[in-house]
Amino acid sequence: MTTAERIGGIAEACRKFEPLLGPASAEIFLDWLRIELGHESALDGFQSISPGPSLRAIPPAVILHIVSGNTPHAALQSLVRGLLLGSYNLCKLPAAGLPEAEAFAAALPAALRARVEFCKNLPDAWLPSADAVIVFGSDETIAHFRALISPRQIFLAYGHRISLGIVFEDADFQSVQAAALDASLFDQQGCLSPHCIYAADRPEEYAARLAVQMARVQATDPRSLLTVSEAAAISEIRETTRFRAAIGEPVRLWESPGSNAWTVIFDADPTFAISPLNRVIFVRPLPEQDPATALASARPFLSTIGIWPNTRPFAEHAAALGASRICALGQMQRPPWTWRHDGRQTLAPLVTWRGWEGL
Amino acid sequence: MNYVQLETRISVAISAADPAAFDDLALELYHFQRSFNLPYDQYCRSLGAADSATTWREIPAVPQAAFKHAPLRAFPPTAEAAAFHTSGTTGEGYGVHHFYSLRLYNEAILKGWDLAGLPSLPQVVLIPAPASAPHSSLSHMMGALKARAPGGEQHWCVTSDGALDIGRLTQLLRTPARPVLLLGTALAFLHLFDAMTGDHFDLPPGSVAFETGGYKGSGRTLTKETLYGMFRSRLGLQLHDVVNEYGMTELSSQFYTRGLGAPHISPPWVRAVVIDPATHREVPDGATGILRIYDLANLGSVLAIQTRDLAVRRGDNFELLGRDPSALPRGCSRSADEMLSASS
Repeated sequence: MTTAERIGGIAEACRKFEPLLGPASAEIFLDWLRIELGHESALDGFQSISPGPSLRAIPPAVILHIVSGNTPHAALQSLVRGLLLGSYNLCKLPAAGLPEAEAFAAALPAALRARVEFCKNLPDAWLPSADAVIVFGSDETIAHFRALISPRQIFLAYGHRISLGIVFEDADFQSVQAAALDASLFDQQGCLSPHCIYAADRPEEYAARLAVQMARVQATDPRSLLTVSEAAAISEIRETTRFRAAIGEPVRLWESPGSNAWTVIFDADPTFAISPLNRVIFVRPLPEQDPATALASARPFLSTIGIWPNTRPFAEHAAALGASRICALGQMQRPPWTWRHDGRQTLAPLVTWRGWEGL
Repeated sequence: MNYVQLETRISVAISAADPAAFDDLALELYHFQRSFNLPYDQYCRSLGAADSATTWREIPAVPQAAFKHAPLRAFPPTAEAAAFHTSGTTGEGYGVHHFYSLRLYNEAILKGWDLAGLPSLPQVVLIPAPASAPHSSLSHMMGALKARAPGGEQHWCVTSDGALDIGRLTQLLRTPARPVLLLGTALAFLHLFDAMTGDHFDLPPGSVAFETGGYKGSGRTLTKETLYGMFRSRLGLQLHDVVNEYGMTELSSQFYTRGLGAPHISPPWVRAVVIDPATHREVPDGATGILRIYDLANLGSVLAIQTRDLAVRRGDNFELLGRDPSALPRGCSRSADEMLSASS
């Protein structure tokens, strides 16, 4: 199949999964190839990409994707990358399965569907047969697979990450709807989900208004059921916050009545702390002086900062805090296909190049 | 009723191991703590809880983390006799359990030990001595257990810098003439087994190991089955010879179980209730929830504590699941434990 033939089928399948994957079209994928490989047909034959030899991109014959649970969009994105390159895709699903991944494969045209294979228990033959291995998971999972990789194999690892939002200016609290959306989508399971919204102005009032929006999102898009452990984490943070508020600490709690569907916690301490997830969002004041110190514990793991307003000066400010991706608040879960995942390209690192020093 | 009067009555209840005394004492203790423990009273007020309860199940439990945020004591700070600190492994600083007196604490340790049928044997201790860890409740407990070592024979096997004294341990375990009781955290035993590098000792029949705690913040993970298998292969101890203690700095009493799969047993002056974290109601028998503990020996602090530990209800007792990282929220968003292990 040529690149153009593959792209047609992939884009069609992606459109059926737009809530997970965002907009997809043949033109978007062609742009992606131009950006990362220098030419939309770089995979089909030699192209004059830059001064010097003509170049042809060679994809891995076989890619092994190790995907994690509860983040189906990441698994689908990885499969799309492999299919776009023209590789054969072995996909190790979590033990509990990943219905979205299998449904996505079923939506592909037969010729592409034949290039995807799933398993829940990794067969011994899969890892050595892969030319590239892509792992999503904890540091422990990544270390496990890194130790098994041979020097001839390409290895890409996407570890767990942290994201947050910063509201630099918003006199009328217009951003709360966007913040509630980011804090609710995928129940905060994704590494692009904000743990905290930093508000430069009136953060406590911001939290109160965010709570109203969290309730609205819950009414239209209810949160998934929780495990006992997840519910325990929410119960603990709520009761600890209630205790802190009762003894006079500058914290305040808003919670879904009679359920643990959503929780908003205002904390006057700007020091970053992770959320127990599942729609528990902190609101903290953005320190005027030295916000980097408040975010120090998050910096090594920082992925995305959603900002409001989404302007260049504030983007530069967010970049200085260590984010590899900066976007508008409300778009945190919708990275474009061309985004630098954890600060790196996603197609280019998978290909090798053949050069022709011809005419 | 004042502190001393309550202490005397609770002491009698511990000594008599009388479960019937629990209900009335719990209600009196609640009233006392609402009167003298200001942060606890403030929390109860925020919950809309009445000053007095009609049954002990109505008594509000403070979240365990509350000990990190306020001095939860029902006596003046100047009257403090002792304070134990939590390990602070969650990255938010440490909690403090304040004591007006350690009388009930010590009585609960020894009576709980006897009720659990635990042995009086020479002790080999893999935990820092109280003098070098004055704020460790576990070290204090080990010191108190000297009363259960014949002739007070205790061998402390942690060096002044906190490391296991492997040379001394090897010497003590290689040829013991009599059965011994080994006491340590699960992590300390793991370090011992690592240091033994394949070596093994055959402890005399009747020897027992006491292990407690998990591996949090250490970056180590190990199932209880694997750990207990190491007790067998490295020390010659059978499953029934290994005792697990469940306790915490914020409590004054302990729970014990032997071997694998058996529930932890509450002493008569303690109630352990398994709560559904979504509804805060008690779960049915056999269901999983979070442990809430009512400990009468917590006279000077707070009777009722809501833990984050998962457990399966087994009648009036529980089977501990703990805070297994594999049970924590999954996804690619980073968890607290991961941040800890990455920075440790």
